Amino acid sequence: MKQEIIQRLTEIVGQDNVYTSLEDLYCYSYDASFVKSNKKDLAGIAVYPGNAEETAKILKLANEEKIPVIPRGAGTNVSGGTISVGDSIILVLKRMNKILELDRKNLIAVVEPGVVTGYLQSEVERLGLFYPPDPASLAVSTIGGNVAECAGGPRGVKYGVTRDYVLGLEVVLASGEVINTGGKTIKNVTGYDMTKLFTGSEGTLGVITKIILKLIPKPEAKNTMLAVFSELEQASEAVSEIIAKGVVPATLELLDNIYIRNIEEYAKVGLPTDAEAVLLIEVDGDRQILAKQIDKIEEICKQSGAIQIRIAQTPAEAEELWRARRSAFPAVSRVRPTIIGEDVTVPRSNIPAMVKQIRAIAAKYKVIIAVLGHAGDGNLHATILTDETDREEWSRVEKAIDELFIAAVKLDGTLSGEHGIGRVKSKFITLQTGEAGLEIQRRIKQVLDPNNILNPGVMFGK
Amino acid sequence: MIDEKVINEFSQIVGARGLLNENLDLFTYSYDASFLPLLPAAKPDLVLKPQSTQEVAAIMKLAHKYRIPVVARGLGTGRTGGSVPAEGGLVLCLDEMNQILELDDQNLMLTVEPGVKTQDIYQFCAERGLFYPPDPSSLKQSTIGGNIAENAGGPRAVKYGVTGDYVMGLEVVLADGSVLQTGGKMIKNVTGYDLTRLFVGSEGTLGIITRAILRLIPMPKIRRTAQALFDSLDGACAAVSRSIKSGAIPAAAELMDQISIEAVAKFRNIELDPRVKAGVIFEFDGDSEAGLDAQIGEAERLCAECGSVQFRIAKTKEEEDELWSLRRGMSSAIAALAANRIAEDISVPRAALPEIVKRLREIAARYGLQLAVFGHAGDGNLHPSLLADLNAPGEKEKVEQAVGEIFQAALAVGGTLSGEHGIGLTKKDYLADALGETGMAAIRSIKKALDPAGILNPGKIF
Repeated sequence: MKQEIIQRLTEIVGQDNVYTSLEDLYCYSYDASFVKSNKKDLAGIAVYPGNAEETAKILKLANEEKIPVIPRGAGTNVSGGTISVGDSIILVLKRMNKILELDRKNLIAVVEPGVVTGYLQSEVERLGLFYPPDPASLAVSTIGGNVAECAGGPRGVKYGVTRDYVLGLEVVLASGEVINTGGKTIKNVTGYDMTKLFTGSEGTLGVITKIILKLIPKPEAKNTMLAVFSELEQASEAVSEIIAKGVVPATLELLDNIYIRNIEEYAKVGLPTDAEAVLLIEVDGDRQILAKQIDKIEEICKQSGAIQIRIAQTPAEAEELWRARRSAFPAVSRVRPTIIGEDVTVPRSNIPAMVKQIRAIAAKYKVIIAVLGHAGDGNLHATILTDETDREEWSRVEKAIDELFIAAVKLDGTLSGEHGIGRVKSKFITLQTGEAGLEIQRRIKQVLDPNNILNPGVMFGK
Repeated sequence: MIDEKVINEFSQIVGARGLLNENLDLFTYSYDASFLPLLPAAKPDLVLKPQSTQEVAAIMKLAHKYRIPVVARGLGTGRTGGSVPAEGGLVLCLDEMNQILELDDQNLMLTVEPGVKTQDIYQFCAERGLFYPPDPSSLKQSTIGGNIAENAGGPRAVKYGVTGDYVMGLEVVLADGSVLQTGGKMIKNVTGYDLTRLFVGSEGTLGIITRAILRLIPMPKIRRTAQALFDSLDGACAAVSRSIKSGAIPAAAELMDQISIEAVAKFRNIELDPRVKAGVIFEFDGDSEAGLDAQIGEAERLCAECGSVQFRIAKTKEEEDELWSLRRGMSSAIAALAANRIAEDISVPRAALPEIVKRLREIAARYGLQLAVFGHAGDGNLHPSLLADLNAPGEKEKVEQAVGEIFQAALAVGGTLSGEHGIGLTKKDYLADALGETGMAAIRSIKKALDPAGILNPGKIF
């Protein structure tokens, strides 16, 4: 990067908040996905602005000089949405990490983008309130990243995803102008819904510098149960039936046989290793209603053919059941050195068909694909266990991933339920949107970022 | 005026059946349910009633070719002039595309054409134990397409959200006649920008909605209604806020001020306790008697703490209807108090309700106008009604100025111009106050990206 630009950026954020050494820049060449920037694509500089004003100045400069800007939080995203693209500015928002306001009267939080999701949740819960979205990375991920990717999580089935809690945003546009969208009102139809447009736009339309979030009262109590099935279809039928009966659990996690076997080997939680599916179910709400819900779910699971049902009687037992789910990734990551988590999503009723397709694809390309998913909302995490250094196997894995996406779209599903398109899936986007759909998205991108400086290559490819 | 030759081309698309161009017919499409005076310029040149997406697409292609303004219309129940053809051209009336196309009871999704009446959707679902919650007051006449285009709300929004929260996917005919599909039956979907939510609430300015996929939920098994009367409006507002925060979230919480209650009492010859200054109609719903009892008990306790002078729980269906009739009769009872009723639709943070009502009363007093306030207290969406005789000298100007000040007051307390009615023609002069110049430029650029020729509902929003 030109010395003059580095100088001007340093003037904006101060000497302590710019990073230009090779070691530093290398850190921004990857995120939690399996893609990495080439060595030649290392960024020119990483800057850490302290507020919206500095962010605006940085973008104004970048726009004038036509330098790509990659907004980044904690880099936990799994679609390659935050990695460097050559002589670019990595705009790290982690210094902007203050909870600005917890408004207990309106049940609203106003936060900066760098606040860690898990920290926000614990602060909110201390007041008896609740911010439900729970992406797996919440202990590390930032709320700005969650909004930019529209992150989901297990609780999506009952509580929805990040989008459902974002009421308003402050966004710095590519030009450096600052726009405020939405506000503290629950209902708002004043102009187009720009809040929803920026949510999930993966850093390609603007840089989020402030977020107004809706909170809800914290559920009084929760309980956990586990149901084991010998057939996957039975588990899937139980899921549909539970929701149709109006007993919507907070989470409905599905584990397949590969996961079950590995979890049992690794954590010894007492799962029958020949079972084809396990449902881990958490219900929450008023204490007096919980017992009834559990009874009803137990009945439905039995009718659907569950061979084993365990209901936690104490918090310690609930913890034990959750240990099975939490040890899922460590358990399967022992199998092979590389683990790739895809997140194709289908309508709930197509889960058995999708799992069948995943198995057929795994067999065809001789790769191991384990399935874990948020069954209540049809969001499946097809987990590919492989070795990225084995070139021959890797080429088979790539073909298998291509086919996974095609299969999902054919089953009325989508490429991504909660991870985003990023750089990893951009070449597949028209499968979903069609040419007309992509053209509209391109036009929106073009009017909001005419010089294409914001996260170029993400979503739309090169 | 549209050329005779062009009219012929349109008639080839929809046939003689679907084309209206008699003067009297045209006149009936020149107004809607807003309080706009009849505008001579707003008489359309032509009304077309397409019966399929293909017909809509063909019409748009022609309109685009000849640069004819196109105004989409359902049944004309809009409150802000959204379906009034302000610049003439053609009205695209979608009331003949009125089929419920598919109920997917596995995934709880309903696919509908835009001309289906909201009430018919509710009824169709209710008969099958399913629930489509959004309930704009006009639901007996309004169409789902109009609800989506305006992002209509209703009393149940406090617990269940608004129309947009139930729209999972859309088929939209764009300005140039191309057909776009957005979203789908997956609950989680982050593939590309959220175009579904961009079209929701876009008031016919970005595309013509020809099909929608709606999310349904199981119908709550029990509903119960209660009426609380208070000795102060602040007390009524506080009771609603505290009830929500306690987790006893009502399915509806309708606030009525003294003038509104008195109007209904007078209209129906009901004797009123002189201490009554405000009232709230609560509806609670759920799946168990015990759970509902607990919620209502909590609400009653909180109401008492906030100065309720009466709390009545409906014991029978008749009592329930009687309590609700107070609210349902409100608009007409208030309208009977004066020659004209100018009803607005502001939305503020819930905690600002007492403050905004105070400000509204000051404004009304300053202009010597009578003011009734009722609305959806649970979500901060108020419908202040100014009572006036617009034919009296000077009265129209006074009302216009007062309305302007009402919007300013809403913005000053952190609120917005419209909670559920849209911007249309009636509020567009105030939009820049709410969005700022940068915000206006941003939505204008979106409009330009999707409708470069500016033929879709010209003169609205901007």
